[in-house]
Amino acid sequence: MIEVDRLSKRFGAVTAVDGLSFAVRPGHVTGFLGPNGAGKTTTMRIILGLTASTSGTALVGGRRYREIARPLHQVGSLLDANAVHGGRTARRHLLSVARSNGIGRRRATEMLRLTGLEPVADRRAGGFSLGMKQRLGIATALLGDPPVLMFDEPVNGLDTEGIQWIRELFKSLSAEGRTVFVSSHLMSEMALAADHLIIIGRGRLIADTPTARFVESNSRRDVLVRSPRAADLAGLLTAHGAAVLPESDGGLAVTGMDAPAVGRLAAAHGIAVHELVPRHASLERAYLDITGDSVEYRAGVPAGDGGHGQ
Amino acid sequence: MTASEIRPARVAVPSLAVRARDVLGSEWAKLRSVRSTYWTLLIAAVTSIGISAAVALTFVTQPSAGRPRIDPLLPGFLSLEYAVVAAGVLGVLSFGSEHASGLIRTTFAAVPRRRAVLAAKAAVAGTVTLIAGELLCFASFFLVQAILSGKHLGVSLSRPGVAGAVLGEGVLLSVCAMLGLGLGAMIRHTAGAVAALFGLLFLPAIVGLLPAPWNDRIGRFTLVYAAQQVAALHARAGLFSPGLSMLVVIAWPAAVLLAAAVLITRRDV
Repeated sequence: MIEVDRLSKRFGAVTAVDGLSFAVRPGHVTGFLGPNGAGKTTTMRIILGLTASTSGTALVGGRRYREIARPLHQVGSLLDANAVHGGRTARRHLLSVARSNGIGRRRATEMLRLTGLEPVADRRAGGFSLGMKQRLGIATALLGDPPVLMFDEPVNGLDTEGIQWIRELFKSLSAEGRTVFVSSHLMSEMALAADHLIIIGRGRLIADTPTARFVESNSRRDVLVRSPRAADLAGLLTAHGAAVLPESDGGLAVTGMDAPAVGRLAAAHGIAVHELVPRHASLERAYLDITGDSVEYRAGVPAGDGGHGQ
Repeated sequence: MTASEIRPARVAVPSLAVRARDVLGSEWAKLRSVRSTYWTLLIAAVTSIGISAAVALTFVTQPSAGRPRIDPLLPGFLSLEYAVVAAGVLGVLSFGSEHASGLIRTTFAAVPRRRAVLAAKAAVAGTVTLIAGELLCFASFFLVQAILSGKHLGVSLSRPGVAGAVLGEGVLLSVCAMLGLGLGAMIRHTAGAVAALFGLLFLPAIVGLLPAPWNDRIGRFTLVYAAQQVAALHARAGLFSPGLSMLVVIAWPAAVLLAAAVLITRRDV
């Protein structure tokens, strides 16, 4: 359980995190979404006690991170996969981190095996690909078998197989009842990997919602239709239960009726149709819309069960 | 919360002593597992032994008529000028390399008591450089005396004051490693910290250019003068006694480490 309460962080004139409140619950993979610069990394660093907040609190398991003795047993984190000494081997890196929290060699070796790094464990991390470094970072995060896990952009640098592996790993970790908090700037990735979403923009909360609900309310389907008798067609469609929205270029955006039905209806009434296109707004589009420049004026719009009301 | 929420294994938080031992163990593992440690120690060894032998050889090959009277411990001391920089770099890298890569965040996330990390790094780097410093100083002492004794200019370790001076000299590598460590923690950039280390070591020696007695009155507080006094067979008048000079030598890294301890908990990483 991670609880963030009215958290703010200012760097001089820049407000990186602005009154952010949310809770990350156990048993779920929670995606932390936002464009680059939205304040995700800063928030994660504050949760880990690396950065001091200007105001507000961040608690992990009910405690401030800095008050936890041997925190690797409570919280595992991966902030930056490149944060390894290039001259140190993967094994020795892992062992040195493990040792600081009283974690033994056997557990470290086990994590190397779990992340598939055993064959390269005695090679210097400086020669690793980003994907291999991500795996080493994940091995480090899992060292203490912690109930809370935080990953900042973990899929960066992973190949397709690696992404699939990490998605499965998150799912199994959350299925074990752990709190899994994963940041990303990619909506498409989080839609697959996370079952809950916390979306921020400019340091503020935009949405705190189950992924399913976000997808449902944002992946609208409609049909674009063009006709020389647009007005007649619009009236006809409306009369048959569809909703029609005129587009600026004269086309009609029809919802509540699929393309074949629109075509049949037009044909039955002798209305010529020049274009008939089924469309669906992508999740990515919806995400861009809510995190775009208008964000500041629409904070809290597609709210979920996070208590940020509609 | 779901019923299946997993909680950490309920092991009691171990005592402070155990936690301290583990942080020490972690830093020791880090120091041993990078090549820079061995390189800096190798450079310290080669320069201190090589240069002290070269100085001693130069000295004995001069015609005895024009030969100046020198302190038989001077060749060993002069050679340390390079070894201390190598040890200082070892200290700087302890934090500098972690800041350069971002590893410092992993370190501080694993051990949120940052001063414990500072203390562990200081203990580990300090011990290694102290042992290395003593070994090198005694090795170059015996080498230098073997060369000087050919001209009956050498001095025996059993002569009063000699063992103490060589021991004191051996501390200097560790002192510089601690200076470097503290500077690395504060400045957080390897190059900047190395530059600051050079400044701290050698700039104060400029007071030597002041007219007497101000050169010694101010100079006795500087590392170079105090170190000279600690390592010399014949203490120079006008400076602090070797005992007080040793305190000056230790006060410098102590002050820098103290400043680092204050800053390290206040900053975001």
